[in-house]
Amino acid sequence: MSFARIRLWKTEGFRLSAIYAGAFALSVLAMGTVVLLITEQTLRDQVIQYSRADLAAMKDGYRTEGEDEVREVIQQRMALPDASDYFLMQRDKTAMAGNLPAMAQRTGVVSLPGLQPGHDILGVGAFVGPGLYAFSGSDTFRVHASEHRIIVALLWLFIAGIAIAVLGGALVSRSFLRRTDAMARACHAIMDGDMKARIPVRGSGDELDRLADAINTMLDRIAGLMENLRQVSNDIAHDLRTPVSQLRQGLERAKDGPGSGYAQALETAIERTDGILALFAAMLRIAEIEGGKRRAAFANLDLAALLHHMRELFAPVAEAADHSLAVDITQDAEIRGDRALLIQLLSNLIENAILHTPSGTHIVLSLTQIDGRPALTVADDGPGVPAEEHAKLFQRLYRREASRTHPGHGLGLSTAQAIADLHGARIDVVPGAPGFGVRVLFPARKSPD
Amino acid sequence: MKLLLIEDDPETAGHIVHALAGHGHAVESVDNGTDGLARARCGDHAALIVDRMLPGMDGLSLVRQLRAEGHQTPVLFLTTMSGLDDRVEGLEGGADDYLVKPFAFAELLARVNAITRRADGAEPTRLRLADLEIDLIRRTATRDGKAIELQPQEFRLLEFLLRNAGRVVTRTMLLENVWDLHFDPRTNIVETHLSRLRSKVDRGFGTELIHTLRGVGYVLRAD
Repeated sequence: MSFARIRLWKTEGFRLSAIYAGAFALSVLAMGTVVLLITEQTLRDQVIQYSRADLAAMKDGYRTEGEDEVREVIQQRMALPDASDYFLMQRDKTAMAGNLPAMAQRTGVVSLPGLQPGHDILGVGAFVGPGLYAFSGSDTFRVHASEHRIIVALLWLFIAGIAIAVLGGALVSRSFLRRTDAMARACHAIMDGDMKARIPVRGSGDELDRLADAINTMLDRIAGLMENLRQVSNDIAHDLRTPVSQLRQGLERAKDGPGSGYAQALETAIERTDGILALFAAMLRIAEIEGGKRRAAFANLDLAALLHHMRELFAPVAEAADHSLAVDITQDAEIRGDRALLIQLLSNLIENAILHTPSGTHIVLSLTQIDGRPALTVADDGPGVPAEEHAKLFQRLYRREASRTHPGHGLGLSTAQAIADLHGARIDVVPGAPGFGVRVLFPARKSPD
Repeated sequence: MKLLLIEDDPETAGHIVHALAGHGHAVESVDNGTDGLARARCGDHAALIVDRMLPGMDGLSLVRQLRAEGHQTPVLFLTTMSGLDDRVEGLEGGADDYLVKPFAFAELLARVNAITRRADGAEPTRLRLADLEIDLIRRTATRDGKAIELQPQEFRLLEFLLRNAGRVVTRTMLLENVWDLHFDPRTNIVETHLSRLRSKVDRGFGTELIHTLRGVGYVLRAD
């Protein structure tokens, strides 16, 4: 058994991861752009703020002590270890202090070309005293350096994100793939004849588990039906061997024997053939009921009316066998069901009660409610069946020693069971009752639709 | 009666034709659905006996087609499928009765006779045989002017016998039509009910109306 291994990147998991990675990349790009713009603006604002503070100090100095104090402030500022700041004090067109040449006396925020390429100067110009122009600014390379660092960080983030997405996608796909492969393997195993193969369930309750559960349940159902079919064929083969052999022997004897017994032998042969056909029909009926198709034909059924119908049907038979047949209804109930099949179910139970008990036995058909569920019971006060035999009673073709002389083929209760199952009902031997009783407990009726 | 048999298995067909001919019926036999439909359309048969599985056109489609075209010739379905569904489907498709193969020949004969009667006109409100009469509306029965007390199922049994008066009804026909039992019961339901009905309908009156035909069924007749 081999099936082409799906390539990793052809999997749904990988496709989803790729989409996710793309979305991630786009969001990193958008976020980076915004961060970059905000950072630049903040840094520029900061430079301008410092410059304004410098100019304010110079203005203060001039007011209190004159031009020399302004020069003093500039000297102090320039003496600071960070040499990226630029200052200028200028009267008319002559630079008087600072580290910049004389320039146009622009006030407010001023951007100057730097001394080296890529190094612009951003600052503020103002007149600190009458005719005395001053400028304070900074090299913008620090802004650019910050921006550069941010871009590098974002780039790493981007690469890491994509890597994680790809790796994660591959891992997810691989685990997904491993599980879908397991499913496919189980399916192939079943196709190859291993009906016991099932899809492994991890127990995490995720969507794949739920799918696996649903498929496994379906497989169980199919396996159950197949097992049924297999059992039916086995049973038929097994149970038919005896009557068919007897039929054959009888015919053979008739062929060789004298003429007088001929008609009798043919009569017996036809009877035996009918018996074989009846067994066939009963088994096929069970298989049909277990197939569940008849649920489509369910209709509303009044159980009390059904019991009265059954009583009227069987009372003459029961009386002829010196049994009594009574109906006891404590609470009426309506169910959804198949009338013909429920008649068969009840007939099987009633016929058992009539055929397998001594004369004088009382049979009661009762309808009650147990926990809101309609319960039909067919009970008799006969000798009963030992508790250890109860479970066997519902087995196909099981016949009690005592009942082998009665007509039937051991399919009555299996048929009843199949019919009960079809109706979602439970069928049980009533425990502890005197005599013998079988109860059919129907499901609670759903609120009327 | 002139009958049309549509059956693809030559052995079964031969057996049926031979047996029906022995009872005075003229049987025309066709071995596929297409020819069967063409022959059935002539409409000069008293009844059709149609196998469910046929080459060309299956039996169910054939009957549906015939009914859709307005042909009312009674149809008896023959089939090896024993399912209740098949029976329901067959009857809903327009068949008048349904018989599962293999069957006793007496069963086939009885059912063919029964369906050919059904073709006649309006639904009566009273059924009568000799001095026995039932009122289908008031659900009452009288014999020789005297009322007979019947339980509902006994009434249905008598009604079925009267509707088929003079014709043989088999045990299976009674089980299906009177009690809706579509399986073979292990107790002698039919015999017991018939004997009770007989005690009400026949006992104390001059002639017996209900006759038992051993191994075949029952017949209601006056002579």
